Amino acid sequence: MLTFYSIDRGNIVQQLREVIDPELGVNIVDLGLVYNIFAEDGTLVVEYTATTPGCPMRRYLQQQIEAALATVDTFENYEARLVWEPEWSVEMIENGVDFFGHPPPQVNDS
Amino acid sequence: MSSSRTPTYILIGLLAFAAFGLLTGLYAGLLRLGIFHHLSTQSISPLSHGPLMINGFLGTLIGLERAAALEKKWAYVAPILMAASTIFGLIGHAETAQWLMVMGALGLAGVMTYLYFLQPKVYHLIMALGALSLLTGNLLYLWGWHIYELVGWWAAFPMLTIFGERLELNRIMRPPKRAQHFFTALNILWIASLVLVHFTRPLGWRISSVLLIAIALWLFKYDIAKRTIKSVEWTRYSAISLLSGYSWLIITGLFGLWQGFLTAGPFYDGLLHMIFVGFIFSMIFAHASVIIPSLSGRLVPYHNYFYFPLILLHAFLALRIIGDFAMLPSLRKIGSYGNVLAIILFLGGVVFQLFIKTKKPFPNRNH
Repeated sequence: MLTFYSIDRGNIVQQLREVIDPELGVNIVDLGLVYNIFAEDGTLVVEYTATTPGCPMRRYLQQQIEAALATVDTFENYEARLVWEPEWSVEMIENGVDFFGHPPPQVNDS
Repeated sequence: MSSSRTPTYILIGLLAFAAFGLLTGLYAGLLRLGIFHHLSTQSISPLSHGPLMINGFLGTLIGLERAAALEKKWAYVAPILMAASTIFGLIGHAETAQWLMVMGALGLAGVMTYLYFLQPKVYHLIMALGALSLLTGNLLYLWGWHIYELVGWWAAFPMLTIFGERLELNRIMRPPKRAQHFFTALNILWIASLVLVHFTRPLGWRISSVLLIAIALWLFKYDIAKRTIKSVEWTRYSAISLLSGYSWLIITGLFGLWQGFLTAGPFYDGLLHMIFVGFIFSMIFAHASVIIPSLSGRLVPYHNYFYFPLILLHAFLALRIIGDFAMLPSLRKIGSYGNVLAIILFLGGVVFQLFIKTKKPFPNRNH
């Protein structure tokens, strides 16, 4: 039986905008790191990339994206999928982005 | 492509080995200065200060950082071998430790070459040349060369790694292509000057010094730190650390132009510590807030306290250099102890903030 999943991309993008690259102080959506959002066999999949294959923040971003996807109620299963094609470049950054305009991420230590 | 992730405890374990390499390296440095000489059972050779700091600490840390980024099991061979070199060195198997350093550097060079293969960009090339510099230094060390003959290659490892990383990160500043090519040329020429040092030390190092000043000026002009210094918390702290490190690079260059690269004595001590403490540790302080989350998944909560060890680092280094210049060994010792204290206070601050202050692994997402 074919199941259709409706994806509220606006909401997911909003969640992903909360994921900040600590090195650049910009959210991953405006940095152009999020390539695709889709459903695959009932799993919400976000394809993203990193600025370089040696990016030290890759592992941290993966955790943060997974934490953001966990807040999406429509899907129980989610996957943050790292892809390297197409290669990220600075041209993918949203125009007018203010680097470090966003406060650095804070740790909730309360 | 969803990768099977390496468990965090493995990363933390290897990070602990890097910290162990750092602490034992600092301890060996204190032994060199003569402290604890009544108490020491000589379990650590004072001569192992340099190898421990470069391989046991930086080799393990940088190797681990790359392996965690790549998520390839084979990439972990490099930091594991480096960590093993610390242990074997400490239990008295010096030659085994030297072989492990060579193998670890070979592994790291393999990882960096693989990164260049994945993305053939100049910044990966510069970082790969940094790993090859470590391999060169370690091979010369294994073959019994004097430390003063090979230390340029050991310095080149963290320096080229940082230069490559800054070039990569500063793409967002969109420096002109010509400026990027110029920076790459400066780096390649600097490596060539290190080769020249083996043939004509005074001339070779003076050329190296001019190139270091040029590299530092390039970084002052194009590094994002110039903008992020207006930011807050870790971002501002990182920018201040970076810019102070670049300043030490210029001082190193000016000093090298004046004195060349001596082979022993206080001026030699001064030059090496301008590089390793003034530049490299400033970079470590600057990048800690990024390296630690990348390995542990935890952000280090910021506190103004971190300026305290940073100021101590620079102030005591200045004292040490004055002690070197003025031939005042006691002042040099005070400066050196202060540098160790600054590093321990920084490390202690990080550990306190991470394990005592942090309750949750993820940042507050509702700011």
